[in-house]
Amino acid sequence: MNVEIRTLNARVHRVPLLHDISFSVNRGECLGLVGPNGSGKSTLLRCLAGLHPLQSGSIMLDGVPLGTMRAQTRARKIALVEQHSDTSERLSVRDTIELGRTPFLLPLRGWSPDDDRQVERALEAVDLQGFDHRLWHTLSGGERQRAHIARALAQTPELLLLDEPTNHLDIHHQLGLLNLLGALPITRVIALHDLNQALRCDKLAVIDHGRLVGFGQPAEVLDEGCLRQVFGVEASHETGRDGALRLHFHRAL
Amino acid sequence: MMNSLYHFPRLTAGIAALCLILCAIVFGTVVGETALPLVTVGQTLANHLWHAGYQVDRIEAGIIWSYRLPRALVAGACGAGLSLTGVVLQALLRNPLADPYLMGLSAGASTGAVLVSVAGLGGGLVTMSAGALCGALSAFGVVAVLAHAVSGGSGGGRAAQAASAIILAGIAGSQMFNALTAFIIARSANAEQSRSIMFWLMGNMSGVRWNDVGPCVVVSLVGTALCLWHRRGLDAFSFGADSAASLGVNVRALRGILITITAIMVGVLVSKVGAIGFVGLVIPHAMRFLVGPRHTKLVPAAAVGGAVFLILADVISRIIVPGQVLPIGVITALVGAPAFAIILIRGARR
Repeated sequence: MNVEIRTLNARVHRVPLLHDISFSVNRGECLGLVGPNGSGKSTLLRCLAGLHPLQSGSIMLDGVPLGTMRAQTRARKIALVEQHSDTSERLSVRDTIELGRTPFLLPLRGWSPDDDRQVERALEAVDLQGFDHRLWHTLSGGERQRAHIARALAQTPELLLLDEPTNHLDIHHQLGLLNLLGALPITRVIALHDLNQALRCDKLAVIDHGRLVGFGQPAEVLDEGCLRQVFGVEASHETGRDGALRLHFHRAL
Repeated sequence: MMNSLYHFPRLTAGIAALCLILCAIVFGTVVGETALPLVTVGQTLANHLWHAGYQVDRIEAGIIWSYRLPRALVAGACGAGLSLTGVVLQALLRNPLADPYLMGLSAGASTGAVLVSVAGLGGGLVTMSAGALCGALSAFGVVAVLAHAVSGGSGGGRAAQAASAIILAGIAGSQMFNALTAFIIARSANAEQSRSIMFWLMGNMSGVRWNDVGPCVVVSLVGTALCLWHRRGLDAFSFGADSAASLGVNVRALRGILITITAIMVGVLVSKVGAIGFVGLVIPHAMRFLVGPRHTKLVPAAAVGGAVFLILADVISRIIVPGQVLPIGVITALVGAPAFAIILIRGARR
């Protein structure tokens, strides 16, 4: 799915938070959203998910304005993995992932074998086979996060939005998740705090105080000036043995 | 999963539920201060339903047909309806303590009903049920505004604080509407009216007759059907309103529809039998334990469980003190208050 954001402005509790954001993401690309705490990354993701109203501007999905889509149509195309999402219900992992099929289930349409297949695929994708009957409150933070991602994958979206998905994950599952997300053939927009993880994205958008201050190839966008001005750190680029670019952080300014 | 009822075949479960309700109704008709033989109950029902022509004592037939059967049917309908209101409120507000009684909806409905019946609001053009519906909606508005103010608009982010806020706001709302009801009674009702209204306010089935059966059964059946229709929307609220919206649920519309249904159910049922507490709290929790949290099973289970529970509570209210009929609200409170405490303690531990 092609995503195009045109001069987007948004408010939170009447306070302007996003200012004149414009960029586009091509079908199948992975865009990383980076920026300091409170810069507006989560609000931008909520706007892209159609959960937060725009003050002005527009979001076009394959040329169709997001604002004109019905909630159900939107949910069949876009899935969101929130940063904080919890339940007090005694749901199992399978119950949770089955929620991802909600946009496809009409009141009189029952559960189909295709729904089962999508749930199985999602379970497998996040390496949660064998966990499907575990109750939510018995899961670790990382397992919950993987279940959330599986629920989003069960929506079979064309655009996947993730708000800091590697939080709560150990390094093994962080890398596993990033590999999984990297291999998905759909458009992805991922808010990330770990700038080295962000370097793996196809493109990066740097948000600071609600404004887009950088957009493009990760290595070009995250230069020393940007890291100093936006993130308040002194850092340099290093190339690892595998040839991949990494950031080496020296000190906070 | 946790227990075998999770995978109980749907048809078997439906037949078992129907049998359970029928058994409870028959039990409610047989048992009372004067125990009547099952055969007499069967013959009386056959006479009225199919003109079977059995010879039955006229007094016994009158007790069964005019008194106990409508009472059991209304108790069943009210139990189902009140239980469902708890299911809906707990899902939409993501609050395990949400219940029309604790949230002040029943108190608001009582105020509305008393305003119409005693103070003569509407000049006879407005029914008690309509008055109770307006009262329940007003109470929901008051409690929602109070809860928002108490929690500082925390929403779902600080769940424990939001849960406490709803209960505190419900207590404040209940007290306010109860005081208003007492004021109306003191101003407008005579001594006899005051006594009967106070008895009715505690939840009372004594005055129930056949003309009360229709509204209670219809409102509960329609409520069950609408809750089942929106079962997947209710499921989607498990992780909050934003999560529901991202799953394609029109959150505002669904909340509007289901809260209106809840208010209508509370309004109609309270206007017929008074404010019966704790059914909406105890039964949904018990049924979640038995069939799990998914609303495809929870909605019918809560309706059946609520119906059976209130029929049995009504029987107990009639026989527990010989020669006296207790308000049914006393029995439900005796069961519900400890259950409320257990839920509070479990919530605090979690």
